[in-house]
Amino acid sequence: MNKIPVSLNVNGREENLEIPPHKTLLEVIRDDLNLTGTKCGCEDGTCGTCTVLLDGAAVRSCLLLAAEVQGHEIVTIEGLADGERLHPVQQAIVNHGGVQCGFCTPGMILSAKALLDKQPSPTESVVRQAISGNLCRCTGYTKIVESIMALSGQPVSS
Amino acid sequence: MSEYSVVGKRIPRTDSVPRVTGEAKYSADLSLPGMLYAKVLRSPYAHAKILNIDTSKAERLPGVRAIITGKDAIPYKWGVFAYTRDMQLLPSDKVRYFGEEVAAVAAIDEDIAREALDLIQVDFEPLPWVLDAEEALLEGAPQIHQDKPGNISVRIFVDEGEVDRALEESYLVQEDRFSSPEENYCQLEPYAVLANFDSTGLDIWCPNAGPHMKARPLSNALGIPTSEVRVRKITIGGHGGGRSEVSPADFMAALLSRKARRPVKLVYTREENFNCVRQVHAATTHSRVGVDREGRITAVDMKVIMDGGAYASTGPIAASVAYIMIEEAYKFANFRYEAIRAYTNKPPRGMYPHHPRTAYGGLELQLDVLAEKLGMDPLELRIKNAVYEGYVTPTKTVITSCAEVETMIKAAEKAGWKEKRGALPPGRGIGMGVGSVISGFPMGIRGGSGAFVRFNEDGDATVISGVVDNGQGNDSMIAQIAAEELGLSVDKIKVVTADTSMTPADQGAYSQASTVMSGGAVKAAAADAKNQLLQVAAEMLEANPKDLVARDGRIYAKGSPDRFLDIAKVARTALSRDHAILGRGDRWPSADAKREWVKNPRGQVASAFSFGTAVAEVEVDRETGRVKLLNMVAAHDCGYPINPLAVEQQIQRSALEAGPEGTLLEKHAWTANGQNLNANFLDYWFPLSTDVPNIDPIIVTSNDPFGPFGAKEGGLSISVAMVGAVANAVQNAIGVTPKQLPITPEVVLRLLEEKEKQSEAKS
Repeated sequence: MNKIPVSLNVNGREENLEIPPHKTLLEVIRDDLNLTGTKCGCEDGTCGTCTVLLDGAAVRSCLLLAAEVQGHEIVTIEGLADGERLHPVQQAIVNHGGVQCGFCTPGMILSAKALLDKQPSPTESVVRQAISGNLCRCTGYTKIVESIMALSGQPVSS
Repeated sequence: MSEYSVVGKRIPRTDSVPRVTGEAKYSADLSLPGMLYAKVLRSPYAHAKILNIDTSKAERLPGVRAIITGKDAIPYKWGVFAYTRDMQLLPSDKVRYFGEEVAAVAAIDEDIAREALDLIQVDFEPLPWVLDAEEALLEGAPQIHQDKPGNISVRIFVDEGEVDRALEESYLVQEDRFSSPEENYCQLEPYAVLANFDSTGLDIWCPNAGPHMKARPLSNALGIPTSEVRVRKITIGGHGGGRSEVSPADFMAALLSRKARRPVKLVYTREENFNCVRQVHAATTHSRVGVDREGRITAVDMKVIMDGGAYASTGPIAASVAYIMIEEAYKFANFRYEAIRAYTNKPPRGMYPHHPRTAYGGLELQLDVLAEKLGMDPLELRIKNAVYEGYVTPTKTVITSCAEVETMIKAAEKAGWKEKRGALPPGRGIGMGVGSVISGFPMGIRGGSGAFVRFNEDGDATVISGVVDNGQGNDSMIAQIAAEELGLSVDKIKVVTADTSMTPADQGAYSQASTVMSGGAVKAAAADAKNQLLQVAAEMLEANPKDLVARDGRIYAKGSPDRFLDIAKVARTALSRDHAILGRGDRWPSADAKREWVKNPRGQVASAFSFGTAVAEVEVDRETGRVKLLNMVAAHDCGYPINPLAVEQQIQRSALEAGPEGTLLEKHAWTANGQNLNANFLDYWFPLSTDVPNIDPIIVTSNDPFGPFGAKEGGLSISVAMVGAVANAVQNAIGVTPKQLPITPEVVLRLLEEKEKQSEAKS
């Protein structure tokens, strides 16, 4: 199969790859860069487990071709922690029990980070809206919302 | 709670960090050198004979390394029980549902494997099919299994007391028929397997609810000793009951690897995870409930028809859970329950906490109708009918620890029941539901769990247990239990779990058994190791081991807090005296081993029982029929919370599963030829963060005599209770009984229309 040269900026590192033109960003992240923290849950953009940041915005990497995101900054879950020090969103999710089976967690954390970077003190309904594209079967969303609200400083409804 | 220093403490689960950094590896994340990729050819018919499969063209495609069909397998039919062996893990004679496995290919990449599927030629002879359980039971219906006449997969029948007389003498009898289509487990992680078959046997990584429960059927199907099937530890993205059994995917990946002599990875698509793993039974329930003038339940007569799909799966258990949970939730002496699980040409159905939802949900709706007719508060009616410690159910199970009434009172208080019930504005409603679940049922020689504990030279301990963690936090749970027993902090405990090559057998994460059985075994093993350690410490301190305690990393002489030794020092001293400290322990259910699901449904069914009450508040939009959840409160009697944070997680998970998922949104729909119409997240209504309010969890304790530190299962009663709560809230809001679950907008609009017609006819 024909391959094309593609350069991607992932977690601050320049990656020069030769890939088939039809490869999605998700496939390249997982298979070529071995960053398996980004999950594949549906391949049609409905579950949110493949969420990554593209120039700071939360996007579904299964819906993008790798070749079309050249020149943009991509951040995956592996790019968040500073060495062994967790990013505040990761730490909040741990402390407040916002993680159970963990399959939705990387995407959920990146959606929350994208929101908080833009809007540091969102209300609960804004938080719920921001993560409404990330499905979770384990938490009933409650402890995830509580984790994010702990960072926002706004009250949580009871 | 102060008597313990580790258990009972609210701590972040020990497994959390790898899951937030992305380093946790799930089955699909693994790869091995030389690994091949597999794809599966599936049946385009609901029911058909396989006449011939020609793989020759596909085999010639460059990059294809192995192709398997049913002919590559030894003749073996798998079943959970000896009497339910009806499933070839790769069928050779016929296919029984749309999407069933027909052949599989392993190739050097997924694209080639997919292309090879198109080159396999299969001659099918389509057969008549049946998609409805009640039709399947009619005379002349297509026969799905030759040796199962009438398409009866399982029949469960209990008849205790004098049901007919009791109903005749009842003050009121409520009779209804409830129905519901299938639900889906929707584990976020699609099923995935990595198999490596070499001259030493099989290594396999896959989502599972008990590695030892996979190893045995795989060894039978592959014709190799169980010790040569090594189901390996892996992070698992959800179970929910749907990963209880061996999967055809496990078998196909293993067989392809055996044939190709290369590692093989098989990752299911979302559509395959909807269709080709397990689904939740569709069901109808015909239910008659009697009460006396004071609101005491006199008798329950229930007939359930369950659509089991093409294979028996865990059918005998699945068809029994409804009656077991009902007779443990409410006290009444006269009980008749018949469940017929029918075969149909649909995907096989497995275990689920609240299936069939028509049984619990239906009964809870009926109790509210009866309460209204009696002029009673539904809370009062439930308190009156609650069970208690020492109560004996109609099928002769003794309830042990029980705080059911407390869950009712606390949930009602927190939800503002007294202020709100009857006082809400039009369109709003509040409802209550109750549930009970069992922990640790008899599973014969596979019903127990074993554990080892070893001290390392730095004083840390390693716990080795067969317990599996599907996301509920079992690894963290056993670490906390071991830490408490050994007198160490949690960070000094390492766990090795769920690997059949090195961990002792465990019953698996079934029947909510992990805390009471696996946790109990770990506690026993830790106590054994601690006693060995205390023996050494006693010699060092010149004390009696009985006078020593282990706590906070030290061994103290009781009553003299300044006489102590560091545990690390004692562990090293033991080694210097040629004594490796190795603790062992095991735990078996305290249930009646003679009880059998079909043949003998009498006797002690389980080791512990948990109870819960849920209250939900809803608002119904009369224009669109949409039900909005405004408030969800759930109180659960977990015995004792090993980790309150984890118990709250389980309560909230259960509330989501039962309320929005099970009662309002989720169902499958089918074409006339048996194809699933909504095997994707766009068309299957999975609740989003914007569909639910914050779920308010309340932990109730009862100090169970069997469970470790008094603990029982941690939240599943709510997966039953919240069905009744949400359904009753809708009933309260619209004044009509919903007879169909889930209560979708379409169902609400139809109910409102019928109600309007009835009131017009009256006026």
